[in-house]
Order: sequence, then C-alpha cells, then structure tokens
Amino acid sequence: MEPMDTPSNDPTDERAARQEWRHAHDRTSDLQAAGNPTDPTMVPPVATADAEPAGTQAAPPAASTATPAAAQPTERIAKSMTEHPAHVPNPSDLVLAIRGLRVAFSGNEILHGVDIDAPRGAVVALVGPSGCGKTTLLRSINRLTELAPTASINGEIQLDGQNVYDRGTDLNLLRRRIGMVFQQPNPFPMTIFDNVAFAMREQAKTRPSRSSLMPAVQDVLQRAGLWDEVKDNLDRNALSLSGGQQQRLCIARTLAANPEVILMDEPCSALDPRSTARIEELIIQLAGSLTVVIVTHNLAQAKRIGDYAAYLLNGDVIEQGLARKVFEDPDQQSTRDFVSGMFG
Amino acid sequence: MPTRLSDRVGVATAYAAGGVLIIAVTVIMSWLVWQGIGTISWDFLTTGPAPGSLEQGVAGGILPALVGTLIVIIFGMLVAIPLGLGVAIFLTEYRQPSWLAKGTDTAIDLIFGVPSVVFALFGLAIFSQGWLAWLSNPVGDAGMATAQSFFCASLMMALIGLPPVVRSSQAAIIGVPNQQREASYALGKGRLTTIRRIVVPGARPGIATGIVLGIGRIAGDTAIVWILLGGAVLQSPPDGWYLPWNLVDFLRSEGSTLTTYIYFSSPAGEGNSPGPAYGAAFVLMVVILFVNIALIRLSRRKIGKR
Repeated sequence: MEPMDTPSNDPTDERAARQEWRHAHDRTSDLQAAGNPTDPTMVPPVATADAEPAGTQAAPPAASTATPAAAQPTERIAKSMTEHPAHVPNPSDLVLAIRGLRVAFSGNEILHGVDIDAPRGAVVALVGPSGCGKTTLLRSINRLTELAPTASINGEIQLDGQNVYDRGTDLNLLRRRIGMVFQQPNPFPMTIFDNVAFAMREQAKTRPSRSSLMPAVQDVLQRAGLWDEVKDNLDRNALSLSGGQQQRLCIARTLAANPEVILMDEPCSALDPRSTARIEELIIQLAGSLTVVIVTHNLAQAKRIGDYAAYLLNGDVIEQGLARKVFEDPDQQSTRDFVSGMFG
Repeated sequence: MPTRLSDRVGVATAYAAGGVLIIAVTVIMSWLVWQGIGTISWDFLTTGPAPGSLEQGVAGGILPALVGTLIVIIFGMLVAIPLGLGVAIFLTEYRQPSWLAKGTDTAIDLIFGVPSVVFALFGLAIFSQGWLAWLSNPVGDAGMATAQSFFCASLMMALIGLPPVVRSSQAAIIGVPNQQREASYALGKGRLTTIRRIVVPGARPGIATGIVLGIGRIAGDTAIVWILLGGAVLQSPPDGWYLPWNLVDFLRSEGSTLTTYIYFSSPAGEGNSPGPAYGAAFVLMVVILFVNIALIRLSRRKIGKR
C-alpha cells in the first residue's frame, strides 16, 4: 500500500485543492471551447471553488429528477444527499445500479450480493484490498466475467433501468454502451488510426473509407488528449507509443464506440507518475459527459478523482457514498482502517 | 563461463549439438550444390525428359517434374490451408462440443504420424471408384477410374499438409494475448469479428510457419506421387497443357514431381543418371528455400510506416 499523498488531515484544505484542480480544468476547456465552439472536450460547467466556499453545505438536489425507470439509490447514498455538494453529479440519477450481485467461479463465491450505485456523469472509485472482488465486479458490468466458462452470475445490473443480464440483451451493443479500459495498456498491433477506428468499423458490406472516419478519429483522439502527440504519426504502429500514450490510445479507442459508461480497471497501475497524472486529468475531463467507474489500488488516486467511492472487502460492499465522506469520515471501522493505510 | 563442472558439460554438449547440426547441413547442402549445379542449365529447367536417352545419362530436362511439384503444392495447400486454419480456430477458440474437439485432436495426431504411403493406398481404393472417374480418367468400360491424376494426388497431399498447418496455427492462436480478445469484446465486437480481425492477424507468423512446414511435407512426399500420380516420369505433358482451358484435362492426367524424378534418375532407380538427380534435388531445395523465405517475409509484414 503506498502512502497517501496528503499528509494533512484537514479536509477543507484537500477539498479546496481538489476543486481548484477542477476549476483549472474548466478553464482549460473554456479556452478550448473559445477556439472551437463545437469542441467536444468541453465539459458541462461545474461549480468552482469560489462559488462554493469550503465548508458550506450545498442545497440537496431534488430527488424527483431521477429517471422513472432507474432504480432507487441505496439508503446510504440517499442519506449522503443531504451533504451533497453541487459540483458532484446528482446521486439520484443513476446510470448504473447494481443490485444483489453474486459472482462465483467454480462454486467459489467472489461477490456476495453487492449493491453499487453509479450516478450519471460521476467518477465512481472502487477501492479495497487485493482479492476483494473489485475487478470481478467491474468485469461483470460489461459482462466480460461470463467469458470464463466456470463463472456463475446472479443479481441485477441496471443500465438506465434495464438489467444487462436480461435475456434479450444485445451483448455487443451493451459493450459499446459500457466501454472498458484495462490494467495493462492493450492496444491492438495495428496502426494508431486503425486502433481508434476499430470500434467504428462495422461489419457492413462496404468498409467506411479512411477519410470518412478521420473526423471522428481526430475527435476522440482530442478528447483522449493524444491528438497533438500522434497527429503526424497516425500510421505508426500503436505499440511504438509509450505506456502512458498507449493507455490514452486505449481510452480513445473506447471513446470511439461512444459509450455512456467507461469501466477502468486500475488504468494507471502500469504507468509512471507523470502518465498517471495525465490519465487522471483526462478522467476528470471525461466525467460529466459520461460516467467513469474506476477500480484503483491507489487510495490517493481515488481521493483525487472520485466523486463517489465504494469500499469492498472480501466480496462485500462495506461502505459507499460521496468519496469525501468515505475517505475522510467513514462510518465503518473497517473502512477507517483501510483508508488510513492500516492494511490493504 | 560457468564454474561448476556439470554446467560446463551441459554448455559443451549444447555447443556440440549445434555444431554437429551445422556441419551436417553444410555437408549435405554443399554436396548437393557441388554435384547438382553443373547440371543446371536453361534447357534443364525448361524441357521435358528425353525418353530413351535417360539410360545413357543424358536425361533431358525436368520441366514436367518441376511443374508437377508446384501443382501438388498449390492444389494441396489450397485445400489444406483453409481447412487447417478452420480446424485450428475450432480447437482453440471454440472447443465445443468437447468430444468433437478431442476427436479432432486425435485425428490430427494420427494423420501426422501415419506414413503417407498408407493414405496413398487408401486413396487408390477410393479414387478408383467409377463415380470418381471425373478426378482422373475412366478405365475402359469397367466402371473404374485410373485414380492417378494431379487431382487425386493433390487431395491426398492436402491431408498430409494439414497437420503442420493445424498445429502451428493452433500454437500461434493460443499465443495471441487474451487481453487483445477481451479488448475487442469490450469494444462490442462479436466472436467472429474478433477472430477475423484480431486473432488470425495476430497469429499470422505462426500460420505462415505451418504453411511452410506443410509445403515441405508435400514437396518431399514420394509415396503419394508414385501411387496417385503415376510413375510417368518419362512422359511429357500434353501439348498446350499450360493453356488455361486445358487446365482441367491436365489436372486429370498423370504426371511426376521432382521427388519421383530424383528417385527415378538416381542410381537406385531405372534411370541411373546421377547428374540430373542431383540437379533436380538442387532445384527442389532452392524452390523450398524460396517459398520459405517468401512466406515468412510476408507474414512478418510491418505495421504502418516507420
């Protein structure tokens, strides 16, 4: 377990810092937007540090804005709404609601009935010690778990109120709506362009031409913050990129399928700190226009980027809610031990 | 240099094994080149054997045998490559139902292990059936077929070319990282698209190796040629055999390959003219070498520009 990067335990300092970071990003995207009015990197405006002085409680958002089909938030999330800051996405508008998820491999149960909420546009961080089932949980959302023939999956995962395990689910469409970025950067051994265009090329009779795909390829590479580095080398082998660039390419490749949710499985664990920072920036930029569910081993990272957090231990959700609450004032002793670095 | 005695012995043995192999190959190759290269001439490559003169050691050329070798390679592999790749994909990506997968595995091992003369004999029994006369030529009114033609030989050649294609492709497909398959699935691509666009391209070098090994087996086989292509070493192909509209007739006719030519004209065979035998062996070696290099090069195609 690596030490937390903020020795100070003062919550106000950290929150202010976090919001300052967000604020900085808003300005960057504002600048970009000024140059190009249709720039897709523009994220919806959020409250800034100035607008919400640290310590002030924002008004709770109206619960009635929830999609009628969507599942009701879990009790804990609902409770946390009373202290819900305005810049954090609305917890009652759930894009993903996991209910009673049980996953077993060859009869060995890894997840024992997990409930998780992912509010639309939020960054949801899943934390917990190794082997607690975080990755299995993540892979169950886009139904990769069932690639293992020994897996048995029970429970519900609702995407916009629709259970992804329903019989009629179009698996390929589901996986386009819920993208995934893996732990190891895994670009295909193709050119950079072909990697990004992979999801766009359908099994149609006529393959879309390169020039017709180019605007979309440029768009997602820009959103992934990679365009400036690769725009002159789109025909180079993707494997010639650095690890951090490869991971951003994988994010671009995922964005090309136009997902509503992106699952990230420790996307920075194979990267150096600099590349990690870039990916974190990118995640914060992407959140809002889509939802990010990220598994991370790095508590500091979960604190930096998470709007919501869930702490898993041995296949159970011990605690979940606003990331600030989970990390700074957890209800459970076990969570307290984990976030203070006593184990993990 | 390792210090322990056992290590030193091990290293020395490894060096020796490599050295012996290199020496053996060098000796064989240079012997072939030394003996064979004198025979090589434009006439040798572009004319047929001269019947009657073979006994005197003036054998004419090897054109029909060279063409015969290329034909059984091409038509044999035309069947063996798609079939072998299909089997390899089934055995690696699907393996369902498992009894079929296990049965296929055993069958491939059997085909790999059984000498080709056994299959040739079986082919003779099958292809001589009257209703298969379109593959070769009918024998009078007996309702039988000669069972000796390029078609018959190529079909059996496909069988012996198949196992290396399957095994090599299988290993290569298993070697494609699972991460890549998962990445493709996670992008909403189905199994077939993933196989077609990710798995097979990723396994290309291994598949090429399998094809090369298969070609080697076909080019080197003699039993199938004797039994299913006929010992027509001295027979020149019909006039105009190379014209496209004569292709089917030509493929239904008997012929020879470099291996049967080599046997026939070697001192062990009836021809007894070692010079042309070495010449043909040299040509066979060059053909195989050329095909190997070309295929391996093609399969290692660079991705994108530098």
